[in-house]
Amino acid sequence: MMKIVSTMFAMLLCFSMVATAQVRVVTGTVKDDKGAPVPNASVRVKGATTAVVADNQGNFRISADENASLVFSAVGFGEIEQKVGKSAVFNVSLAKTVSELDGVVVTAQGLRKKAKEIGYSYARVTTDEVNVGRSPQLAQALSGKVSGLAVYNVNNSVDPSVKLVLRGYRSLTGNNDALIVLDGMQTTNTVLATINPNDVEDVIVLKGGQAAALYGSAGINGALVITTKKGTKGRLKVNYSNATNFDEISFLPQFQDKFGNGSQYYPYVFGQAGYSSDYLVRMRENWRSYENQQYGDQYDGSARIVGRIINAQGDKLVIPYSAIPNARRKSFDRGVSVNNQVSFQGGDETSSFYMSLENQKIAGIIPNDRAQRSGARFNAKKEYGKVTAAFNLSFVQADYDRTTADFYNDIINTASHIPLNDMRDWRANKFANPNGYFNDYYNNPYFNAETNRARYKDANIQGTTEITYRMLPWLSFYNRLGVMNNSRTQKNIQEQFLYSGYAKNTAYIPAPWQHDDDYPGIYRAITDQLGGVTDASSTENVVNNEFQANIEKNVGDFTNRLVLGYSVYQRQTKSISISSGSIVVPGVYNIANRQGNLAGSETTTKERKYGYYADLTTTWKGYLSLNGTFRYDATSRFYKADRSSDLYTYPYYGAALAFVVTDAFPQIKSKTLSYLKLKGSYNKNGNDNVSLYGLDLTYPNGSGFPFGNTVGLSVGNTLPDGNLKPEFVTSIEGGLEVQLFKNKVSLELTAYNQDSKGQVITVKIPNSTGFSNLLINVGQTKNWGYEADLRVQIINKSKLRWDASVKYSYNDNKVIDLYPGINEFQYGGYSYASTNVIKGMRFPILKTNGYNYAPDGSGMRQVNATTGYPLLNSSLVSRGGTLARDILGLGSRLVYNDFSFSFNFEYRGGGVMYSDLGRQMTFTGSGKWTENRAPQIFANSYYVDAAGKATPNTTVQVRETEYALWVNNYRLISENFVNPNWFIKLRDVNISYNLPASLIKKTKIFSGAQVAVYGRNLFTIIDKMNFYTDPEFSFTAGNGLGINNTGQTPPVRQYGINVNFQF
Amino acid sequence: MKIKSLYILGIAALIGVGCKKSFLDVNTNPNSLPSATPAFVIANALNVTSTNMVGLNELGSYWSGQWTQSNGYILATTYFSYVFTNGDFNYWDGFYDNLEDYQYVINGADGAGQPYFKGPAKVMKAFVYQHLVDLYGNVPFTEALKGSAVLAPKFDDQKAVYESLITLIDDGMNDIKNNAFESAYASSDIMFKGSQSKWLQFANSLKLRILNHQSRISGRDGYIVAEVNKIVSSGAGWLSTTDAGLNPGYVAAAGQLNPVYNNWGYSETGAKRANNNFPRLTQFLVNSLKATNDTFRLKRYGYANGGENGSNPGVSVNAEVITNYTGVPFGISSGFLPAGCCALGPSLLVKGELGRPYVIMTAAETLLSLAELKQRFPAVTLSGTAQSYYEDGVRQAFRLVGSSTTNANTLLASGVDNCDFTASTNKLSAIAYQKWLALCNFNGVEAWTEYRKTRLPNTPQSVQVVNSDRPLRLFYPLTEFGSNGANVSAQGTIDVFKTKIFWDVN
Repeated sequence: MMKIVSTMFAMLLCFSMVATAQVRVVTGTVKDDKGAPVPNASVRVKGATTAVVADNQGNFRISADENASLVFSAVGFGEIEQKVGKSAVFNVSLAKTVSELDGVVVTAQGLRKKAKEIGYSYARVTTDEVNVGRSPQLAQALSGKVSGLAVYNVNNSVDPSVKLVLRGYRSLTGNNDALIVLDGMQTTNTVLATINPNDVEDVIVLKGGQAAALYGSAGINGALVITTKKGTKGRLKVNYSNATNFDEISFLPQFQDKFGNGSQYYPYVFGQAGYSSDYLVRMRENWRSYENQQYGDQYDGSARIVGRIINAQGDKLVIPYSAIPNARRKSFDRGVSVNNQVSFQGGDETSSFYMSLENQKIAGIIPNDRAQRSGARFNAKKEYGKVTAAFNLSFVQADYDRTTADFYNDIINTASHIPLNDMRDWRANKFANPNGYFNDYYNNPYFNAETNRARYKDANIQGTTEITYRMLPWLSFYNRLGVMNNSRTQKNIQEQFLYSGYAKNTAYIPAPWQHDDDYPGIYRAITDQLGGVTDASSTENVVNNEFQANIEKNVGDFTNRLVLGYSVYQRQTKSISISSGSIVVPGVYNIANRQGNLAGSETTTKERKYGYYADLTTTWKGYLSLNGTFRYDATSRFYKADRSSDLYTYPYYGAALAFVVTDAFPQIKSKTLSYLKLKGSYNKNGNDNVSLYGLDLTYPNGSGFPFGNTVGLSVGNTLPDGNLKPEFVTSIEGGLEVQLFKNKVSLELTAYNQDSKGQVITVKIPNSTGFSNLLINVGQTKNWGYEADLRVQIINKSKLRWDASVKYSYNDNKVIDLYPGINEFQYGGYSYASTNVIKGMRFPILKTNGYNYAPDGSGMRQVNATTGYPLLNSSLVSRGGTLARDILGLGSRLVYNDFSFSFNFEYRGGGVMYSDLGRQMTFTGSGKWTENRAPQIFANSYYVDAAGKATPNTTVQVRETEYALWVNNYRLISENFVNPNWFIKLRDVNISYNLPASLIKKTKIFSGAQVAVYGRNLFTIIDKMNFYTDPEFSFTAGNGLGINNTGQTPPVRQYGINVNFQF
Repeated sequence: MKIKSLYILGIAALIGVGCKKSFLDVNTNPNSLPSATPAFVIANALNVTSTNMVGLNELGSYWSGQWTQSNGYILATTYFSYVFTNGDFNYWDGFYDNLEDYQYVINGADGAGQPYFKGPAKVMKAFVYQHLVDLYGNVPFTEALKGSAVLAPKFDDQKAVYESLITLIDDGMNDIKNNAFESAYASSDIMFKGSQSKWLQFANSLKLRILNHQSRISGRDGYIVAEVNKIVSSGAGWLSTTDAGLNPGYVAAAGQLNPVYNNWGYSETGAKRANNNFPRLTQFLVNSLKATNDTFRLKRYGYANGGENGSNPGVSVNAEVITNYTGVPFGISSGFLPAGCCALGPSLLVKGELGRPYVIMTAAETLLSLAELKQRFPAVTLSGTAQSYYEDGVRQAFRLVGSSTTNANTLLASGVDNCDFTASTNKLSAIAYQKWLALCNFNGVEAWTEYRKTRLPNTPQSVQVVNSDRPLRLFYPLTEFGSNGANVSAQGTIDVFKTKIFWDVN
């Protein structure tokens, strides 16, 4: 005892001696880059042994020489070095390191693992990364930020739909979408539209195979594990944020603005007496005042009637026949969205809570389309000795009001000299009113949009309760019960509109614009719009309970952790819809207000699963980890009382190995190499990928039945194979993680291969069997890829930090086997362009009809030897895969003092797309590619001469370029509208500024404030031959991606301003 | 250690409180029925047979030169330029789907205690197969409709199928004779309401149609005469004053209208369908009727230019004078806007008459078939003469479209070639022409079949086609080719302009 005291005394003496010489006492606080204190940071004097540890609030006190440097460091943060100098108070802010080696990662089923122990690939996206572009939807905010994750924004509206696919497709016809896990609970995609991205603490992306094996078959496509904020220790913190942003059309298809409305009205057939060889003459004859097509003569500024005399008073609209600049773009609105939210968080040693309220209002680019979302979340946690209880609860209400009309298609069916923007008020403007609107075939877009509405309201409640009981130091139990309830009530309406007798029978075209074949009455007026109403409601209810026992026991050099789990899952849905195809009293939208019968339908589903699982992680000496998983599942989808249990229960398993080379052999560590980990995993997972109730042959009601009391049933068309069972996916994965230059550079490389056997697919069988489809386990696919993640800390100074990351992934797949004798089947699309599954090829494959190419391989296209029109080769030919094979994300963040700047780019490519929009716009003649209407020889063409010889075409002119070439020939050749689907998008960009603390303090209200300007998809670069639209768009969110049409409104860019206040 | 094992036991117990098998027993489809009975299946099957005919009759009406389209929209090149592939005109899938339902009834009627549905199902099966052969030639028959037992049915020779159909109908007629309907289930028979005699008449009419199709094949006389004589001796008769039409109970509700009315007429609420603008009577039809002074029927086949007057159903907007009836040259793509030519007339469409039965076979057709058989094969034991069957057939054709016997008699005595039997220079051509008219608006596909068999009447080629090729059949559909490729390929290369159906001996 005496000895210790004397030693201390000696040390004290020593210190004081130094102090009196040239040493000063320095105090300060260590904070992170967001200003939160970093507890337990270490502060040492460079080159000396002097070191202290900061307290919980980051406060430290150390003595140091004026000329010395202090080195600040903390676990999970980068080191910072600063000269002591004259200043006595240091406020240091540390940046989080790119390396999270020592961090703990939440993996499948909520198991926490050290990053070092993990032998498979995962990624973590933090709240900051999610919120760069202030996207109101979580899914879009993940685009380009995780290698291996493809976010398909398949549609664009106030209620956009997305498809999240990890590592490509495995299943041919089953689900390929990633599982969404929210606070540990298995949920569904619904969550993506309802969750407030600001509530998200992080998203762990488990890319598949072994990573998500503990979710059972639900995790076969990988999982996005979303964890919401839980609150932090310390005083109550209040954060208010407002984001206001604008949506603008980023690009429209290329339009022509040279020709006005007209169609093929020229009365003489080629070769007939009277036929004019002058195309300008024929074009003039093709002009009609009421046409939707735009194959009239060239704009000349002359005064021409639009439509007809619209009433007995003789009212007519006569305007200059010349294009209005940007007429189509002006037809759309500028979208505005406003998001307000406030959050509260706080906690003490044993409890914490987080609460948030959000309101978001969106007005879309289609006039009158609106959406609103209001939500609240409350998360809380409390520890009582051995017991910890927590719950997370959120409820969200959302309203949508959207048109069901094809507004876009109506727009492209309007010539560019029509003052569409003045036609918005169809109730008051007699030329905009359907009784007076010029177009015989397509009604006023604003009328259609306003009178055909879908209005629906979503209510979502989702919550989990968790309880953990740490019975013994090495044993704990955990149970989590999660419930999600979604309901939607919907009313679709169509307003009644009855045409006037004048519009129906009398409206006429006066001289000098009339033609012989004119007829009185507006063509579209023959069919009154009788109105209608559809009332629908649907509910989805998911219950998921997980029970786990955690055993942790270290034996010698082995640390062991075993988790035994038991999982129960149930999902029920119900939807009911009733409708009436007409209403009696205008404006009253209730099915009681109708003529005739009600139509209606009901669908109810219920499915259940349970599973047992075990997960063992053993680590030897901290650097060699083996993780083994086993799971045994039972699913109702394959259950029948009389079926053998091996058809509906299935075991599966996997193992992963992680080896930290730099820990095993520290001698290889150098200034260059700081860390090296090798990893590999193998996994076999079962998948109950059969549609619900797929085991039964059904006898549905015949079409139209029952007619009164007459019942009619039909034998179903899909014949289920009697031995249907779950399919199996085998995944192997290997890779390495390396950190270089003192962790400034980190690189992760992964390669994987997934083999999916015995796929439950619906095989097309000959209809002559009496059935059209057979559901059977036959398909086999392979899916492989590589991922590379590079992160670089370019500058890491106290005031200036700059880092960048590159994420690249390559994924491809192949159909190994289908049913014997069957080489392909179709997902969907059109008869002339469809997405397909073809044996031996990647899937989906786009097939379209096309040109007849010259046999010599010159690429010349066959034309008719007499008419000069290109010939259609009607057989559907493969044009390539539709999924993006390469995905590259590039992100960077630069922080200088209180400014920060971040952005993310994404490139995707390696596939093709078909734009039906192109075909539509060729029909209407609005596409710029139809602009060349002068006599011509079809470019790069050949014909077969009388002797049967292929001859390059230098002589045969296209017979009628002003119409027939485009509408009757070019339009039908779908190959014309196939393009590479690559794009580069500036996904999000954000410049923010932290208001200076000195200023903030003066307010005495705020403790912090930030202002930011941001943008999403500010620019997009696409293939120069892609005249049409965003390659991400697709008419379906199912597996058959790759075809777009007018159902997707034009792509938009968004920009806005965000202010944040902390109290 | 003791405590430890206790805990482990506890965990095991907790996990062991797993689920019983019954937890999974929620896999019975609550949305679609898991079983059916023949009575319900045949009701739908009959209705589907009629709805399957709608598109097919449209095609036949075009290709037999009765209808074409106005120029209110782009003409489909498939119909009017004959540019079509094995992806177009797939009636096959619908037919076989329908056949499966009949097969279900045939297989299950006895077991379900409803044997009286077996016969009608067999006759209807033959009816559908007759169309399949007429459109595609060789088709799967003996190995077809066996589900997973035969996943790649081989094709049977078309002539053999035709012969099997006669046997199948005979078999069905025996079943009908031996199993009287239980009245409780008569409503499931949406065609004849359980009338045995009408089913037998229909069956015989179908046999006459099948036999008559083969009447130009040389060396077939013996077979045809023998079969016709069997029909005569059966004594059950044929459709001679009534038509075979079915009505499941059409009402003014979406999806429950007469399908023709629904397609080309009006909605359940009386709004005119946009499709009403498209089908138009051909110039050939209109001018032929004008030339033979058959204006009674002209005014029934079409409305005067301008169409039906919505507020005066059944009557044209414009005066129903001959000059107001304009036909459209077949396949022309300009110059004939919808209001300038004859829309489908009151024989087919009258606003509000949404509950007319869907006619699948007419007395007129049967009688004119008898006329042809008697004319070609005097040896048949039919009691009437070719002329008497012809004249009865024309009278029935007038009745069918809503014109009077008096008008029919006027035409029959007009002295006009191809109308007045006695005055006609070529009796077979008169029969063919009158049959073509009798089928107009009601049975386009049969009109096309008759045209292919006789090449009569000599309707003009489509304006859009430069050569004289006309489709003589359809391609085997892509769906069958994709899933039963070897058997389809075994039928050889199909050229729709050259590969003829076996009864087409031109």
